[in-house]
Amino acid sequence: MIFVENLNKKYGPIHVLKGLDCHIREREVVCVIGPSGSGKSTFLRCMNGLETITSGSIVINKHRLDDSKSDINLVRQEAGMVFQHFNLFPHLSVIDNVMLAPLKVAKTSKAEARAKAETLLAKVGLEKKMNAFPGNLSGGQMQRVAIARALAMNPKIMLFDEPTSALDPEIVGEVLAVMKDLANEGMTMVVVTHEMGFAREVADRVLFMDEGLIVEEGTPEQIFSAPQNARTQGFLSKVL
Amino acid sequence: MFRAFDWQDLIPLLKGAWLTIQLCAVSGVLGIIFGVILGVARTSPSKIARWISTIYITCVRGIPILVIIFFIFFGVPLLFPGLELDKFVSAVIALTCFAAAYVAEIVRGSIESVPKGQSEAAEALGLNYWLKLRYVILPQATKIMVPPGVGFIIGLVKDSSLVTVTGLIELTHAGNIVTNLTGDPIKTFLVVAVMYFVICYGVSLLGRLYEKRTGIHVDPLKLPETAGV
Amino acid sequence: MALYYGDLLPFSSLLLQGLWTALYITLIAMAAGSALGVLLYLGKAGRVKLVSILCTCYIEAIRNTPLLVQLYLIYFALPSLGINLNPIWAALIGLTLNNAAYTAEIYRAGFESVPKGLREAGKALGMKPAQIVRYIILTPATRNVFPALTNQLILLFLASSIGSIISLPELTNAIMTVSNTTYRTIEVLTVGGLLYLGVSALMSLASKRAETTLFRWAVGTHV
Repeated sequence: MIFVENLNKKYGPIHVLKGLDCHIREREVVCVIGPSGSGKSTFLRCMNGLETITSGSIVINKHRLDDSKSDINLVRQEAGMVFQHFNLFPHLSVIDNVMLAPLKVAKTSKAEARAKAETLLAKVGLEKKMNAFPGNLSGGQMQRVAIARALAMNPKIMLFDEPTSALDPEIVGEVLAVMKDLANEGMTMVVVTHEMGFAREVADRVLFMDEGLIVEEGTPEQIFSAPQNARTQGFLSKVL
Repeated sequence: MFRAFDWQDLIPLLKGAWLTIQLCAVSGVLGIIFGVILGVARTSPSKIARWISTIYITCVRGIPILVIIFFIFFGVPLLFPGLELDKFVSAVIALTCFAAAYVAEIVRGSIESVPKGQSEAAEALGLNYWLKLRYVILPQATKIMVPPGVGFIIGLVKDSSLVTVTGLIELTHAGNIVTNLTGDPIKTFLVVAVMYFVICYGVSLLGRLYEKRTGIHVDPLKLPETAGV
Repeated sequence: MALYYGDLLPFSSLLLQGLWTALYITLIAMAAGSALGVLLYLGKAGRVKLVSILCTCYIEAIRNTPLLVQLYLIYFALPSLGINLNPIWAALIGLTLNNAAYTAEIYRAGFESVPKGLREAGKALGMKPAQIVRYIILTPATRNVFPALTNQLILLFLASSIGSIISLPELTNAIMTVSNTTYRTIEVLTVGGLLYLGVSALMSLASKRAETTLFRWAVGTHV
């Protein structure tokens, strides 16, 4: 579903991604772990065009991202993104946040968009907060709204950029629970995270990134119990 | 009767520009001194200090500078009969009164943007108000004050043009005089405008240099700007 | 010395007339100047380099020269446009052009103050740039900019006093006329000052009220 080949990304002289190769299959849940500065977030953001590729290629669901002819917005409708800092629209109520893109981008009817939004908000446990504004929500509630907002566009893939890093520890659980449900329903997910427990439980595959490359990858058992690479071992010993 | 605008007309204009610079330098320094005092008073725990400074600042910032200039120049001699004020002195007094209120707001904003934790830590260590202010709050606030302070100086230079109504021969008044000699107001005031531009833009370049050096950048939406004056 | 306010009574209509003139000139200059200011900002931030440079030059020229000098130039330039030396036109044009430069900078700060993440969220949802500006950026930017804009209104009102120097019949001009006629300088300055103070205080209160009403979603937060 996602084919990444020799992905290179440079910011001026700084070479952040150094020739990444990766294949993510449908319905797969892939967790990306690694030290800060390893390029995990950059890798994720390349997948929906928030960062431009310097060289190499990414193909998502038959759309080539490096092809200037392909409309990046079509790709973005297929890949939903959840940000570390939620990025909810503060001037819109919760339900308006969720309905905005379906109305303006997918051009669905108001009734349809509303029905879908209500369903999604119920799914993430926030049907009671439909008319609240982001300013009145807790971090965990905001992130769940953000997930519902991304899901409203019927994406085939969900990209999560450190979704719980900005949350208080006791709230992290409610967001991870939603993500777990999503995984169990068969959504293809790429999650950049520091939550090793989540990765161990839910991921089909774990990628360990360091200095712009995937150093080691495998099932959670392989990576967490028996890491082969010295750098992986070093990182895990510090965080586990 | 009228002669054409000539190179020799630059001389009175430059003299006027020099007087403007002197006027602004003196008023600026005095304004900063009084402004800091007012700003500290405005944020002090003493209710009286806060009240008096707030009233002063609100009143001065709620009336046009021109009215203040009129008041000092025409009104004060009436209150104290026999008191003869030199034009330069009354201009300085008027500009300082206004500048102090303006600077006070900058100081207030800077003090308030020092994180509250700093004040709490200082108090926890047993520092009293004056020690806390001197060694913890003001040193941090001072760095933040420079970018809006630059804006204040530029505003002061522009405001000084209003002093022309007192007859003090600063740059704008010099422009009036030259206009009467040459009959060409447009050329004259274009030159006057360029001179003001050079002074103001020069100051703003210094400010940008400071921002580059120290990385301090103030949110322009929080600045007490003067509109167009 | 004895202060006697009674002599001012026959001139109260002159003072109020001056206040009214100051107010309507301020409002017109604010409206026209803000509209022009938005265009200036868009020009400066736009992709056509020549337009961007011209807008920047205009803004810098206005912001680094005194309003009085700008008014003089416009006042004396009017005859070549076919209008006789008319202080009202000069003041309207001058204040509008002046206000535009300042509001352009206010809008710039407003647009730049909206967190980058909001724009990215819009992009991630597949929205086009024009849609992002219209539905996501514009309202939070206006809210951030609102205090600065209302402050600008008050400053403009006070700046209208400068028109008195080119004989605009507004409040300060009226104050000086009354002073020259009655010699009650302190009294009329006090009354005039209170009028200015009163109106600017009212404007301040009204704008705070407007802010909480228009931007109810933002209470207690900062975008």
